[in-house]
Amino acid sequence: MKKLTVMLLIAAMVLGVSACGNSANKENTATESQMSTQEAEDLDAKINELTQKENSILENHKALWEKVFNSIDKSTVKDATATNYGDFLANSLDKIKDKFTDDELKSLKEDVEEIKKLEDELQPLLEKQSANASNKDSGKEGASVFPEFKAKDLDGNDVDSSIISKNAVTVLNFWFNGCSPCVQELPELNKLNEELKEKGGQVIGINTDSLDGNEDGIAEAKSILEKQGAKYTNLSLDSNSEAGKYATSIMAFPTTIVLDRNGNIIGEPIMGGIDNDESYKQLMKTIDQILAADKN
Amino acid sequence: MDKKKHKISQFLAHFRGWIQAVATILTNIHLPNFFKGEIYRGDAKTVCVPGLNCYSCPAATGACPIGAFQAVIGSSKFKFSYYITGFFILIGVLLGRFVCGFLCPFGWFQELLHKIPFKKFSTKKLKSLRYIKYGVLLIFVILLPLLVTNSLGMGNPFFCKYLCPQGVLEGAIPLSIANASIRAALGKLFTWKFGILITFVILSLMFYRPFCKWICPLGAIYALCNKVSFLQMKVDEDKCVSCGKCERACKMDVDVTKHPNHTECIRCGMCIKECPTEAIHYQYGFGTDKTNLKENKGE
Repeated sequence: MKKLTVMLLIAAMVLGVSACGNSANKENTATESQMSTQEAEDLDAKINELTQKENSILENHKALWEKVFNSIDKSTVKDATATNYGDFLANSLDKIKDKFTDDELKSLKEDVEEIKKLEDELQPLLEKQSANASNKDSGKEGASVFPEFKAKDLDGNDVDSSIISKNAVTVLNFWFNGCSPCVQELPELNKLNEELKEKGGQVIGINTDSLDGNEDGIAEAKSILEKQGAKYTNLSLDSNSEAGKYATSIMAFPTTIVLDRNGNIIGEPIMGGIDNDESYKQLMKTIDQILAADKN
Repeated sequence: MDKKKHKISQFLAHFRGWIQAVATILTNIHLPNFFKGEIYRGDAKTVCVPGLNCYSCPAATGACPIGAFQAVIGSSKFKFSYYITGFFILIGVLLGRFVCGFLCPFGWFQELLHKIPFKKFSTKKLKSLRYIKYGVLLIFVILLPLLVTNSLGMGNPFFCKYLCPQGVLEGAIPLSIANASIRAALGKLFTWKFGILITFVILSLMFYRPFCKWICPLGAIYALCNKVSFLQMKVDEDKCVSCGKCERACKMDVDVTKHPNHTECIRCGMCIKECPTEAIHYQYGFGTDKTNLKENKGE
């Protein structure tokens, strides 16, 4: 019997350790993606360093180089970034070489050679950086766009995704009738909706008891909204639609997400009521960020 | 007949650890969900499991009966949960605290902790603490969810929300590890309940099943059913030599020969294993008194 318990203990421990191992793995994958941000930072630093070197070279013969720069035809500036910057400088210099003494020309040409070398180092790094950046963007967008939808509000009026694009920022709040923290925060959400109206934003509720036009669910939701004084739009989604699936996949209520005009989900979903200081701050930060971006 | 009964009793008592392990796995069958950080939400979740096992455990097969009971009586639509009460009575009558000893994952967790070498203390002098669990049942599971409601008549599951360490162990901790948004939502309430969990982990090292003995409202319900349960403990007085080994073996502080069906008996069978004359065994069916053993044989 002792053996048995010992074996059981060992089994439990192994299970425990393997569980720990797995969570450790998880962290590893997390740090891996951080590693790549670390790499990206290194890359940025290196690029910075090389550019600074180039600048300091140009700085050494500032007066002479300014002559060159002033002579450059603005329409050719595009080439400066497309090709090796050293070649670009050499070309520009060539065009006005008569204006310099031989000594001056010599030192300028030396500068050009040095810059060419630096550029050879810099170019692949810049390519790497831009590739990395475009990867990041595409990954972000693919994962977090709220699906387009055709739905009805709780009074039976048709509503579709255009309601999102009409507003700079949309706060989507998922809730159900029997969820007391959800019901609790409805007045707060209504207040937020009033504030956002002035800034070109809105709050929309998505009630998961009212999916597929469920009449009992809608009636109850409406009476709750009325009692809590929530006047903003609430939607009844079709559970088979992509947006409906998004709603039914939510497991913690209330959940609140923030969308920009293009339906991009910005930031992490907020789980739990926004009627607590920390969540509210986080929410407002995201909203301000979207509003600022929308103005640009 | 008698021999067979003894065999079954001995088997159950000896392989209890394995049965607990299997019961825990069956209660939490959706293991991959631990890594996804999602909760299983299929149809089986409308059915309760017998033991204390959080609904929000990612792997949970069914609902926690204590959680479900509070959710129903706390809702604005219902004032009483007939379904869950029926479930309590059914399981209580069929098994009683056998659930605690054999099927409850949190009971097993505490037992495993108790196997870790540490200074062990007896709970014999702390018997009065046993009554706390009836208070927890009455106040946190029934009265507070029923009476403390918002303007729409909605209450909170007070036991789950403020006390239950199983919820932290099975729900909050694994979910917050795998899910960033849940992690962001952790606050004071989590800290408080994490403290409760740590307290019971430490207590479990020193005492045998402290949560079951003192706090568990589910254990309290099954305890009340122990006397009327089909599953009973029998002491064969003809075989008993009054050596007192069973009482010493009992980690739930029950005097087995005097009260074989005491509210605190979790049917673990430690007394069965310890008895030198095999005088103690489980009996299932319509119970008869230990004094008329002859009639028993006719079953």
